[in-house]
Amino acid sequence: MDSANLLTAVAAAEPNAKPREKADRAAVQVPVGNLSALMKRLRNDSTFAFDMLCDHTAVDWSEQGTFELVYQLYSTVHGHYLMVTTSVPRVSPIVPTVREFWRIAEFQEREVYDMFGVLYDGHPDLRRLFLEDDWKGFPLRKDYTDDFMLERPE
Amino acid sequence: MGIITEKLPCYIEPIPGGSLLLTSMDAVINWSRANSLWPLTFGTSCCAIEMMMATGAPRHDTSRFGAEVARPSPRQADLLVIAGTIVRRMAPRLKTLYEQMGEPRYVMATGSCAISGGPFMYNSYSTIRGADEIIPVDVYVPGCPPRAEAFFYGLLTLQKLIKEGESVRRPGERRKPVLSALPPGITLDQIRAEMAAVLKSDATVNVEQAAKKLEKESQDGQCESADGCCCSRT
Ligand code: SF4
Repeated sequence: MDSANLLTAVAAAEPNAKPREKADRAAVQVPVGNLSALMKRLRNDSTFAFDMLCDHTAVDWSEQGTFELVYQLYSTVHGHYLMVTTSVPRVSPIVPTVREFWRIAEFQEREVYDMFGVLYDGHPDLRRLFLEDDWKGFPLRKDYTDDFMLERPE
Repeated sequence: MGIITEKLPCYIEPIPGGSLLLTSMDAVINWSRANSLWPLTFGTSCCAIEMMMATGAPRHDTSRFGAEVARPSPRQADLLVIAGTIVRRMAPRLKTLYEQMGEPRYVMATGSCAISGGPFMYNSYSTIRGADEIIPVDVYVPGCPPRAEAFFYGLLTLQKLIKEGESVRRPGERRKPVLSALPPGITLDQIRAEMAAVLKSDATVNVEQAAKKLEKESQDGQCESADGCCCSRT
């Protein structure tokens, strides 16, 4: 499907999903409550058949007080891409896991947890991935500092 | 090597004039060490690509300087080239690798990251600000990444350091070589002028002329160049 058709189909499947403007590829934003249902549909519905989660990452919009979670999906059946984003508040970043739909999400979510401290509801093994287990804090948060870090002089 | 460095001095010292013989032994040992450096295959980021260019590729070819046997095991290597960013997670492993290498071992830090943390010096939660915070470094090669030529300059400097520096009597004590001397009969101004000329001739492109030439070519359907052409147009 091309992007316009894909967006229409996603909108039909999940009325709460808003298409994002100014995106190179088809992109939708969903409230966090609808994420799981939409992801399940995208994975299992044969018109979408998104069988690959290329990447999952997060953006820290510290001024707006949210983390934006980004899922890049690809379908090897139809060859189309879709970016799904959702926002969670910084103070309680809890989001349902998508591991049951894509096994690789287990590691990608661990990475996001490691760097941003986003908590995945239902994740079987939410431990740090890259940093040492006793690391304090989440270094890719914009307000992260520690004793080791050197501030850039103005 | 172990027998020579550890046993030889005490065998020779009682002999009258032994120190003279030792001095020449030093020279021979240092000469052979300098010309048979075995680098460890160790690279952590982009600089490693440049190191592979310098050591592995036939175009640059380190075997010209007697350092081509890159070893994947630290126990068989005596030159550790720190090529790339060292992060806090890597630091203990780097130290282990260094400690596993047999004496005498030499360390070259290539690239700004290995020297000072480079582009990641400030506001980084992970990057070690210079590999010399973890292990002693003999030679620093600046650049981001250093060119293969710079890498070789570093290697030759290290060879000079080895040749001049260590004595079997005082292992581990190294003297830094003198590097600032210019070849006889050449002044700094001459080098500067030559560099400036090269830069100027390389860096000037006359866009208008080039455009005109292209236009003419497309009209004629033929290249101007007399000395053969790589394109298939006839
Ligand atoms: S010095 Fe530059 S090229 Fe080398 S590892 Fe650092 S960033 Fe990469």
